Amino acid sequence: MGRVDLTIEICGMSGDGTIAAGGLLNLAVSKAGFSVLAFDSYPAEIRGFGRCVTRSRFSDQELKALTDSTDVLISLDDEQSLSRVPFLSAGAVVLFDSNPPTPVEEAKSLAARLSPGMAVLGVPFRDLATRASGSPRGRNLTALGALAVILGLPEEHFEEVITAKFRPKGEKVLEANLKSFRAGCDHARRELAGRIREPLRPPARGEGPERVMLSGNLAIAQGALDAGLRSYYGYPITPATPIMEYLAKKLPEKGGRVVQMEDEISSIGAVLGSFFAGSRAMTATSGPGFALMTELITHGVMSETPAVIIDAQRGGPATGLPTKTEQSDLTAAVFGGPGDSPRIVIAPTDVTECYRYTVKSFQLAEKYQTPVIVLSDFYLDNRVENVVMPRATEEETADGNLYPDPAEAGRYRRFRLTETGISPRAIPGTEGFLFAATGLEHNERGIPNYDPDNHQKMSSKRLAKIQSALADLEEPVETGGGGEYDLGAVGWGSTWGSVQEAVDRAREEGLKVGALKVTSLYPLHADLVRSFMDRCAEVLIPELNLEGQLATLIGHLFCGDLHRLNRVTGVPIAPAVILDKIREILGKGQR
Amino acid sequence: MAEKHLVVIGNGPAGREAAAFLREADPDSRITIISREHRGHYQPRLLPRLIAGQMEAEELVRPGFDFYEERGIRLRLGQEVAGLDPERKVVVLGHREIIPFSGLIIAVGGRPRIPEPLLVFKDLMLTLKTMGQALVWQERLAEVEEVLIVGGDLTSLALVKALLALGKRIFFVFCQEAFWPLRCTPELLEGAAARLRARGVEVLEGRLRSLIQKPEGRLEAVLDRTRIQVGLVGAFFGLVPDVGFLARSGLQIERGILVDQHLNTGFEGVYAAGDCAQVFHPDLRDYWVSIGVDNASRLGRIAAANLMGGAERALVKPESIFSDQGVKANTSWWMEF
Repeated sequence: MGRVDLTIEICGMSGDGTIAAGGLLNLAVSKAGFSVLAFDSYPAEIRGFGRCVTRSRFSDQELKALTDSTDVLISLDDEQSLSRVPFLSAGAVVLFDSNPPTPVEEAKSLAARLSPGMAVLGVPFRDLATRASGSPRGRNLTALGALAVILGLPEEHFEEVITAKFRPKGEKVLEANLKSFRAGCDHARRELAGRIREPLRPPARGEGPERVMLSGNLAIAQGALDAGLRSYYGYPITPATPIMEYLAKKLPEKGGRVVQMEDEISSIGAVLGSFFAGSRAMTATSGPGFALMTELITHGVMSETPAVIIDAQRGGPATGLPTKTEQSDLTAAVFGGPGDSPRIVIAPTDVTECYRYTVKSFQLAEKYQTPVIVLSDFYLDNRVENVVMPRATEEETADGNLYPDPAEAGRYRRFRLTETGISPRAIPGTEGFLFAATGLEHNERGIPNYDPDNHQKMSSKRLAKIQSALADLEEPVETGGGGEYDLGAVGWGSTWGSVQEAVDRAREEGLKVGALKVTSLYPLHADLVRSFMDRCAEVLIPELNLEGQLATLIGHLFCGDLHRLNRVTGVPIAPAVILDKIREILGKGQR
Repeated sequence: MAEKHLVVIGNGPAGREAAAFLREADPDSRITIISREHRGHYQPRLLPRLIAGQMEAEELVRPGFDFYEERGIRLRLGQEVAGLDPERKVVVLGHREIIPFSGLIIAVGGRPRIPEPLLVFKDLMLTLKTMGQALVWQERLAEVEEVLIVGGDLTSLALVKALLALGKRIFFVFCQEAFWPLRCTPELLEGAAARLRARGVEVLEGRLRSLIQKPEGRLEAVLDRTRIQVGLVGAFFGLVPDVGFLARSGLQIERGILVDQHLNTGFEGVYAAGDCAQVFHPDLRDYWVSIGVDNASRLGRIAAANLMGGAERALVKPESIFSDQGVKANTSWWMEF
C-alpha cells in the first residue's frame, strides 16, 4: 500500500455545521493514528451567511503544510462549494446532498462543474439525517458517516469523538448525532458499495506519547499558562480572541486573572504595569490592535520594562481581512513606533513552536527587560495539528529577571551601563532600590536627561542589550544537507512548512536546493543567515505580504538579487506554488 | 438569445458517437453527455477479459477523457437522469438539477434482463453489463470454484472463455429466450452446446426452477431433473431497454422508446438511439431494435445528423446477420414470444 496523503475539505454556509464536522473529522483521524494538519476558513460575520471551509490533510508521514489540492470534498452547500472546484485533484471524490430541498439550476450545480475523472457521489444527507434523528441538523454528521465508510476509516473513532463532543449537551442531542452519523455509514455501505476504498492504514507508531489536537492559539495560551502567567489583559480581536477565551477559563483556576480592557492601549499598559511590578502578564492582539499598542511598546523599550505581546497577524491594512491570513506585520513589529526602539521579535512556524516560543518569551522579556513580540498569524493560530503535547521544563519557566546585588542598596542605578547593556532590575518596593521609570530619555538612575551624549549612550545600551539576546534566541535551522545550493529558500512563520515541503520535493526531483528557517527576526542571526545565503546561487523568500518584508529585512545580507514570492490572497502559500517557483528560477520544467 | 445546449443521455457507443457527430456538425454549441456510469466509455463485450485478468479496468476505458476535452464535450459521469419534460425541454437529474436543452438524444442502452419466472432470484444471481458488475464477478470468483450460467446470450459465451481461463468448473443451462428479443432455434442452441461441451463445460438439460441459498454462501440450483451446488450463478438473457426514468415523460414507450425512422420521438428536438430505441420500419409497419456496438454507433450518428437538421433514415436489411464466438444469430427483428 502506498503512502497515505489525503486532503479533505468540508464546505458549507455558516450554520451548516461545517467547522464542527471538520473538527470531528480531525479528531477521529488523529485517533486512528494519522498525522493531521487542518485549517478552517470562515467569514468575518458571526452567523447567517458566508462560506465556511475546513481543510484537513492527513498522512502516515509527519506533515509540514497544507496542500492546495483537495482529494475529497464534502459539500454541505453546493453553491458555496462551487468556488472549491478549481482546487479539486483530477481524481477527487465529491460527496454532496443528492436531494436538496429545492431544485438546482444547472448554472448553480456543483455536479455540473466536476470533471469526469472525479467520483461524484450523491448522498441524501438531509433526508438520512431527518429520518434518523427527526431533524436535518445532523446532515454534517451523516456526511461524515458516508466519508468514513468510503475511505475505510474506523467508525468507532468517529463515534468516540462525537460522543465526547455531544454528551455534555445531553443524551438526546448525543443520540441524534450518533444516529445521523450511522445513517450516513449505512447508506454508504448499502448504496455506494462499489465506491468504497480499501481501508486506509495508519502508520505503525508503536507505543509513544499520546497525541492531542492543538491549535496555534491554544498552544500559545497553554504555553503562557505553563510559563506562569499571572495576568492577561486584552481586547477581543480576530484571530487572537481564542487565546483570551481559553485563558478566561483556565487562568483563574491557577489564581491568575483575565481582564478585558477597554482597548488595546490600556491592555499593553496593564501588561507593562504588571511586569514592572514583577508579575508575568501578556496580551494578544492583531494588526489593528497592535498598531494602537505601538507607542506604549516603545515606552517599554525606553523604560526597559518587560512585556509579552502576541501579534496574531491577519490581512491588512487597517481592519483589513479579519478572517484571512497574512504575514504583513513584520516590519511594524520590528521597527514600528517612534525613535530607535529595539525589541525582540520571534515567530513560531508550527503549533509546537507556538507553545515553546510563548514559554520562552517570558524569560526573554524578563532577562532583556523589553517587550517581546511573538508573531503568529491567522493560519498558524487556527490550524490544528495532532502533536505530542509539549510541556515546559522548570528551567524554561524559571524567573528570568536579573536582580541587583543587595550590596547596591542605597546606590542603585537602575539603568547602569554594562557591557551587555543589561542592567539588573529591581522590582519596585524593594527597600534601598528606589528608581524612576519614565518614557523620557533618562540617565542611569532613571532621571530624565536630554544630554546628547547621554541619549547616544543610552540608545546604544538598549540596542546592545537586544543584540546580546542573540545568545538566547534560536539560531536559523538549515535543511538540505549543507554545502552549496543552486537555490536556497528562506522561510518564516507559518509559511515555513510550505517552504520546507517544497524544498524536500525539489530535492526528490534531484534539484540542489536547501532551506533556512528563521524564527528570530529581531535581533537577527545575521552572520548565520549570510552564511547560508553565501552558499546559494539564488535565494528565494516566499512570504504572505506584498513587498517582501523579510526579504527587505535580510536582503542586504545577500550579494545578489533575491527572488521574492509574495501572496496576499488571504490563504497560505501551498508547497506546490513554491515548488513551481523553484523550478522556474532554476529553469526546470514541471515534472 | 438562449445558448444552444445539446444533451446526450448515455455514454455508450450510441451516445458517444452522437456527441462526436454533433460537435463535428456544430462547433459552437454547448454539448453535454450525462451518464450514470462512474467510468468513461468502454465496450461491455470486453468485460469478460477484465474478469479473466487479461485486461486492466483502465485499459478498457477507451477513448479517454481527452477525447471529450478536445471536442469541448462536457462529460458528466456518475450522474443519473431521473426525468424528462420534452415540452419544456429540460431533463431533471437524480439530485434535482434541472438542465435545459435545445436538442436531446437519449442513448441509455439496456440493462440485463431477467425473465419473469426468475425475477424472484435476482438478488442471488449476477449479471454482466457494466464494469462495476464485472468487478463484482472478479471479486466473487476469487472465492468460488463452480459457476452456473443460465440463459446463454453472447456475453455469457464470452464469459465462459474467461471462466475457463481462470480454471473454474462451469455448468451451463441454455434457454431459448437467451437472445431475447430473438428466439433461438433448437438447432442453434444444440450447436452452441456442442461447442461448449467440447471445451469442458457441463451443459445441463432442463430449466432452472429454483435457487436456494445454502450455508457459507453456496447456492443450490434446482433444475427439472437435477440439483447442483455452485458458488455463483450468472443470468444471461439479453438486455432490456433501460427507460424506466421516462415513464412520466410523455414519450411513447413499449419496451423501448418508440421512434420514427429518423429516430425522432415525436417531440421536436428529442431523439433516441441505440439499444433503448424501438425504430419504426415503414415497409414492415412495425418496430425493430438493434443489437451490438456497430448498430448502436450507426444509430447514434443518424440521430445526431437528424438533430442537426438532417433527414437520414435508420434503415436495416430485414435479415441482418450477426455473429460472435462462432455462434450466429439470424435476425435482429423484434419478436414477441
